[in-house]
Amino acid sequence: MFRHRLLQRTNQIKFKKRRLIMKQNFLFQASNISKYYGQNVGCKNVSLDINPGEVLGIVGESGSGKSTLLNCIYGNLEVDEGDIFLNDKSKTILNFTKISEPKLRLIQRSDLAFVHQNPRDGLRMNISAGGNIGERLMAIGHRNYGEIRQIAANWLEKVEIDVSRIDDKPSTFSGGMQQRLQIARNLVTRPRLIFMDEPTGGLDVSVQAKILDLLRNLVRELGIAAVIVTHDLAVVRLLADRIIVMQNGNVIEAGLCDQVLDDPQHKYSQLLVSSVLQV
Amino acid sequence: MNEMSKNENLDIQIYNFAYLDENTKRMIRRALLKALCIPGYQVPFSSREMPMPYGWGTGGIQVTSACLIPKDILKVIDQGADDTTNAVSIRKFFQKTANVAVTEKTSDASLIQTRHRIPETKLKEKQILVYQVPIPEPLRFLEPRETETRKMHALSEYGLMYVKLYEDIAKHGHIETAYAYPVKTNGNYVTDPSPIPKFDNPKMNNSPAIQLFGAGREQRIYAIPPYTNVKSLDFEDYPFEAMKANFKCSICGSSDSYLDEIIVSDDGKRSYICSDTDYCKEQTKLNSKKED
Ligand SMILES: Nc1ncnc2c1ncn2[C@@H]1O[C@H](COP(=O)(O)OP(=O)(O)OP(=O)(O)O)[C@@H](O)[C@H]1O
Ligand SMILES: [Mg+2]
Ligand SMILES: [Zn+2]
Repeated sequence: MFRHRLLQRTNQIKFKKRRLIMKQNFLFQASNISKYYGQNVGCKNVSLDINPGEVLGIVGESGSGKSTLLNCIYGNLEVDEGDIFLNDKSKTILNFTKISEPKLRLIQRSDLAFVHQNPRDGLRMNISAGGNIGERLMAIGHRNYGEIRQIAANWLEKVEIDVSRIDDKPSTFSGGMQQRLQIARNLVTRPRLIFMDEPTGGLDVSVQAKILDLLRNLVRELGIAAVIVTHDLAVVRLLADRIIVMQNGNVIEAGLCDQVLDDPQHKYSQLLVSSVLQV
Repeated sequence: MNEMSKNENLDIQIYNFAYLDENTKRMIRRALLKALCIPGYQVPFSSREMPMPYGWGTGGIQVTSACLIPKDILKVIDQGADDTTNAVSIRKFFQKTANVAVTEKTSDASLIQTRHRIPETKLKEKQILVYQVPIPEPLRFLEPRETETRKMHALSEYGLMYVKLYEDIAKHGHIETAYAYPVKTNGNYVTDPSPIPKFDNPKMNNSPAIQLFGAGREQRIYAIPPYTNVKSLDFEDYPFEAMKANFKCSICGSSDSYLDEIIVSDDGKRSYICSDTDYCKEQTKLNSKKED
């Protein structure tokens, strides 16, 4: 028993040390984010940081504030309190809550990406697959049709959609294909940080597994950092390096993924973990 | 004073000059001035009921009404022709309500209201070209939300506009858009040139004339001041081409004017004639002079 406690303590100390070291070349940092919907708490006093190439999982039950937090830190929702910092490509630190809207939208288009749970929210359904992938390229100034098409074809291959479907509309795709197309459309400009809200939420289990596998490989291959919101602990176990657990808008536990899942400290996290294991 | 002009004087007393009241004109002129200051930017204005239905050029008519002065010489064309119903009724409307002189000759006109064409004869300084515009928003069919399109213009987020051209090439092997081909005005706002054929697009560039656009139903006014750079959007490997049917006008023989296709016999025989009726007449005159 004592040995167990001891190990645990040293683990935590090690972890804290690592965090301190990492902070110096952080990619993204949110501090004390609060968002209220009138009387309702969306999320409260949440801080997190993300290092280059790292995957952060946000877990918690329905209504715990995961989507609210994600939309706040992506810049989609205006925060009531707190600051959001991005260490941009030129190593200048930008505060999302202070920069102008054009600048923010430019960053959202180049450095960041957002994958919606429902592919319909993240795709243009009446535009061909190639056009969907090409849009972000054209938005940042690509003006060569042949090149754009070639890049789109390469990405279809990467997400395992037959290149012959390049001129088909997403409405003719299955749910899993649509989600893979959405991922390609977001990754094509090689953002440094990608936000995902339940990216496999609406899909059946075998399709989910394939997409998760794909995501894991792409994120590793490209060295992209990611924040992934899910209520599925299997998803975070597969993808995330670190996780935060939310309840009622608060972060109640944070740590390395394996650590939290194998040895949850907070009562609620314990419940969350055990409820999954029982299934 | 003969009987005829007495009646005309009577009309002018009934209507304010050029139909609209002075307050409304002032409101439209303010919008026009703003539009000229921000080339290609769509200025909202409160469009008035006109004594004709939308789709008949109520936006263009209001702009013309706000610009007209008594010594103007007005030309009205529809698809390049002075003698179609739409053109005739608008011309009559302003003869009746403003008693201005009218002409069919492009070079004589001080103000030209047009639907779907730019005259072939090069426009000059101090001429005003008023376009009737059905849909002023070039991004409308790509992004239906007005709040979003306004933001896209404000932040010049025009990736989506290129997506449309991309889709064209993917589907047809070339840019199929033949009318209302989008342009970038003064290197800034993407603008809908109204449904003119893309053959006319180059005429908008660096034009000495003032180009004003009025959309009645959509309540928008925009403008291109004289000598403004107007560039048709394209890809490096699919450059913009001002295309037209590769034939000669069967009346005047011109091969460099925009042609309409007409069926000339019951068995479907086709022929091509200039869409710009004034230009065709001028060319025919020139030809007969040469022959003399
Ligand atoms: N637009 C809104 N207006 C008012 N309250 C809202 C709004 N959006 C979210 N909330 C409230 O904020 C809280 C957090 O909601 P949020 O959508 O962030 O939760 P979530 O963790 O993403 O849940 P889920 O897993 O169901 O997607 C909830 O109590 C919710 O009712
Ligand atoms: Mg949610
Ligand atoms: Zn002719």
